Amino acid sequence: MFRIRFHGRGGQGMKTASRILGTAFFKAGYEVQDAPRYGAERRGAPIFAYVRADKSTINERGVISHPDLVVIADDTLVGMPAAGVTLGVDAHTVLLINSHESSSTWRQRLNIDAVILALAAREDAADRATLPFIGSRCAAAAAALTNVIPRDVFVAALYEELGHLHEDIINQNRDIALGEFDDMTRHAGLVKQSGLPSASEYVKPDWIELPFENAEISNLAIHAGVTSVEVRTGLWRTMRPVINYDNCSGCAWICSTYCPDGAINVRTDGYPEIDYDHCKGCLICVAQCPPHAIESIPEHIARAQEAGETA
Amino acid sequence: MTRKLLTGNSAAAWGARLARVDYIPAFPITPQTEIIEDLAAWIDRGEMDARLVTLESEHSMITAAGAAASSGVRAFTATSSQGLLYGMEMVYTVAGWRTPFVMVNVSRGLASPITLESDHNDIMAARDSGFLQIHCATCQEIADSILIAYRLAEHADVRMPAIVNLDGFYLSFTREPVDLANASKAQAFIGDYDPENLQFRGNSPLSQAMAVLGGGPYSYFRYEAHLAVQQALSVYEEITDEFEDIFGRRYEMIDCYQMDDAEYVFVLLGSFSTKARDAVDSLRAAGWKAGLLRPRLFRPFPQQRIRQLLQGRRAVGIIDQNISMGMGGVLHSEFATALYGLKDAPLLGSYIGGLGGRDINQREFFAIADELKQAYDSGESLPPRLLYTQNELTEMRKLQAIAQAEHAEIHQA
Amino acid sequence: MIKQSPVHFHRMKDMPSTHLLGTGTPMCAGCGGLETLHTMYDILGRKTVFVNAAGCMTLLSVYPFTPFHGGWLYTSMASAPAGAQGVRDAVDILLQKKKLPAQEDVEVVVVTGDGTAYGMGMSATSGAMDRNLDFIYLCYDNEGYGNTGQQYSAATPHAALTSTSKGSHGYPGYKKDLFSIWAAHNPAYVATVIAAEPLDLAKKIEKLQAMSGPRMLISLAPCPTGWDYDPELSVEIGRLAVQTGVWPLKEYIDGEVRHTKVPKQRKPVDEYLQLQGRFKHLFEPHRDEQAIDEIQARVDAYWDKYDAR
Repeated sequence: MFRIRFHGRGGQGMKTASRILGTAFFKAGYEVQDAPRYGAERRGAPIFAYVRADKSTINERGVISHPDLVVIADDTLVGMPAAGVTLGVDAHTVLLINSHESSSTWRQRLNIDAVILALAAREDAADRATLPFIGSRCAAAAAALTNVIPRDVFVAALYEELGHLHEDIINQNRDIALGEFDDMTRHAGLVKQSGLPSASEYVKPDWIELPFENAEISNLAIHAGVTSVEVRTGLWRTMRPVINYDNCSGCAWICSTYCPDGAINVRTDGYPEIDYDHCKGCLICVAQCPPHAIESIPEHIARAQEAGETA
Repeated sequence: MTRKLLTGNSAAAWGARLARVDYIPAFPITPQTEIIEDLAAWIDRGEMDARLVTLESEHSMITAAGAAASSGVRAFTATSSQGLLYGMEMVYTVAGWRTPFVMVNVSRGLASPITLESDHNDIMAARDSGFLQIHCATCQEIADSILIAYRLAEHADVRMPAIVNLDGFYLSFTREPVDLANASKAQAFIGDYDPENLQFRGNSPLSQAMAVLGGGPYSYFRYEAHLAVQQALSVYEEITDEFEDIFGRRYEMIDCYQMDDAEYVFVLLGSFSTKARDAVDSLRAAGWKAGLLRPRLFRPFPQQRIRQLLQGRRAVGIIDQNISMGMGGVLHSEFATALYGLKDAPLLGSYIGGLGGRDINQREFFAIADELKQAYDSGESLPPRLLYTQNELTEMRKLQAIAQAEHAEIHQA
Repeated sequence: MIKQSPVHFHRMKDMPSTHLLGTGTPMCAGCGGLETLHTMYDILGRKTVFVNAAGCMTLLSVYPFTPFHGGWLYTSMASAPAGAQGVRDAVDILLQKKKLPAQEDVEVVVVTGDGTAYGMGMSATSGAMDRNLDFIYLCYDNEGYGNTGQQYSAATPHAALTSTSKGSHGYPGYKKDLFSIWAAHNPAYVATVIAAEPLDLAKKIEKLQAMSGPRMLISLAPCPTGWDYDPELSVEIGRLAVQTGVWPLKEYIDGEVRHTKVPKQRKPVDEYLQLQGRFKHLFEPHRDEQAIDEIQARVDAYWDKYDAR
């Protein structure tokens, strides 16, 4: 069975990628099971989708815990434990990362037992949430790597899944995806199927007898306040609002009032400060700042700048 | 000893009054309405210090009861059949809040067809919810069971809401002698409501009943609630002892009548079990070793006790006043589960009777005993039987003829 | 009922500068409903118990995370006002019996979406107003069943595309007049608000805070995910909803309806509609004059009635 996971952010088309690949496998004569998996179902938030393909009936279900291929559409997810991109990755897994950086850079950086391959990033959308065509490109690369999906079958699958879009957009997707497919053919067969876990040698599950704990412990309640701050929704951000304090007039904290998440507080000196651990990058503050003192820059560039500054 | 004649509904109202409940969210439904009418009258006359609020539906009523308990007061409510089902979402939901309160269910058959008369399908529908269940056979038991139910529900090792079930009409509107607990003794027995760590206060953070992500945490919360319901088995023992010490009445979790040497046993819940007592007496007079096993506690299901009590018996006739469509009697399934794998387990007979208030007369109990013996002699259980007579079918055909049910004339016997 | 000393919201500088509601909740970036809620919470304060019905905001608290300093109780989709009834009555009983000191009193606030308020929760809301429950009700109205993927609800405006109204003309129905339905119950207070007009919102919260009885708010909640637009436009779209007259800002108090913000020269509804993907079929491939005219006519008719009074 082929077990393949796609990781991306909400809005990047990972569900589409899994559907294109699933349909492609199906048309190539495979039994298929594909599904998206949402965490917090929001634009920019990490999501994943998976595809299983097998010549015989697929009985396995749920999250893929031993992937043969993991496709990462947005390399900013790699450093984010919450995204779970490396879950179950082992020596036979191919990790395909859409990135401007090379395979060797990633191999060094990750230092894990896996086959690491970079999908050369061909465009750079300012807003990573909208990486155009990334879904089709990921599906195409994955298809080529398996070496069991003929080119024309892939195209047919793409048409089927994108049929509801405007013809021009479908054609653009097709051309870009095929470019990717052809490019990946040099690694055809790198992704190999794997079988079922062995019943004669397995690690025993660590079952326990769940101990009775009285209601003061086990009731469905949170006895503390504001524990939500531990959730770093700043990780959703693909665009970062940055206040230019030279232009900021300390007006009347309009930005602070309009921020839906309360991620802009006003300091004692009367100037606003953005809480980057939690800012989701909606950019309402950018749009509403009267003197236009807040600009937005791509998050991955902002991070690179930060990394450069601390280096 | 002051015994007075009280209906089951009045006894229930008295139980709530003696339990010194603070808050009664209410909604009327036959055959429960007298409970809330009695309570409302006492409150209006200043005889009872509580607040009664009529909500606009049972779904809201049960929400309000759970929310009030989660806010630190002792809540009470009552419903029946269609109302219990209308609120069923909240029956499951508030059980998971781990906030104890008592709800009386006056058992009534479920639509369709719509009926006002008694059976147990309504209370059976709540059996998986997490609510404890105590089933009453007499009006005396009702008044006492409410006090016991509060102690059980509010116990630190339990903290789950509880239903006290009584049969519509046969108990709800029927007067029997009831010895009401003395108010100060009841107060001593029941104590004050302790909210533990679930109480909304202006200066404290508390989020309750929230969403959960992931099967792991969900499993934890659900299974702990189940373990808490199981705890009620041992807690019930303590409370029963204490109740007997104070009030001189003992309520075992399983009411056993003539069980010591019984070979053939009837099993029933609720008020019809007293009819089975008479049948046991008559059978004994005719030379049978008959007995009655009546669970009072239905949730948690007293599995171990049932195994101990029924081991070595010849045959057990389980009379279900309910039916699980496509499967059969619920009690029968549960007893079969409890007894599976037990050495010297008895044969089981499954009888569906009393649906929609249908009577079960003494001759039927005797005939059941005959069938149990027949089964024992043959070594095999008989197939399940609906207690239903030719005469009833003949009468049904007459009704069908009027209703012009197709082929009614052809089948008329 | 908690009474706090009034702060008068005249200028943006009067708005709270630090925020009570915890960050880190999974509402969409740019959520117009969250914008309203955080301002409400700043003004109402910590001594509150929020009672919630199923909808997007249910996810404000997912174990073990909560953004609240005070109370939160999730109930069900239909019965949040009944949950509020239980909490309010219980607290009142404890206060009366001196089992709870007065400084531990709370304000009970129901928070629901339009799916609940305009539909399934109507019965419980009606019952609560009928019983004169002392509580606040915030409906964040994103004009559809948002949490399940923006299916149409009774709050969906005519012609909107939703996941269950994808035909060429969008939703065939018309938005229900919840304000009038609630006002017909003669509660203490009903108002429409929007976070894009924060001073109007803040004044209304301050006003209702000093009252008791059922105090009902409907906040239009521009929704990037459901209405199909870039999150940064949430405030602009909200402002246009008011400036075009599509979302009248008004209150019902002492038997009278009073508008709190009247657009002098109403902008044409186009300006509001064309920013939203859910109305793009009215503009592409060509302008649907008839549909837009109809929408404009209805808005005009509403304000003509108002002008005539």
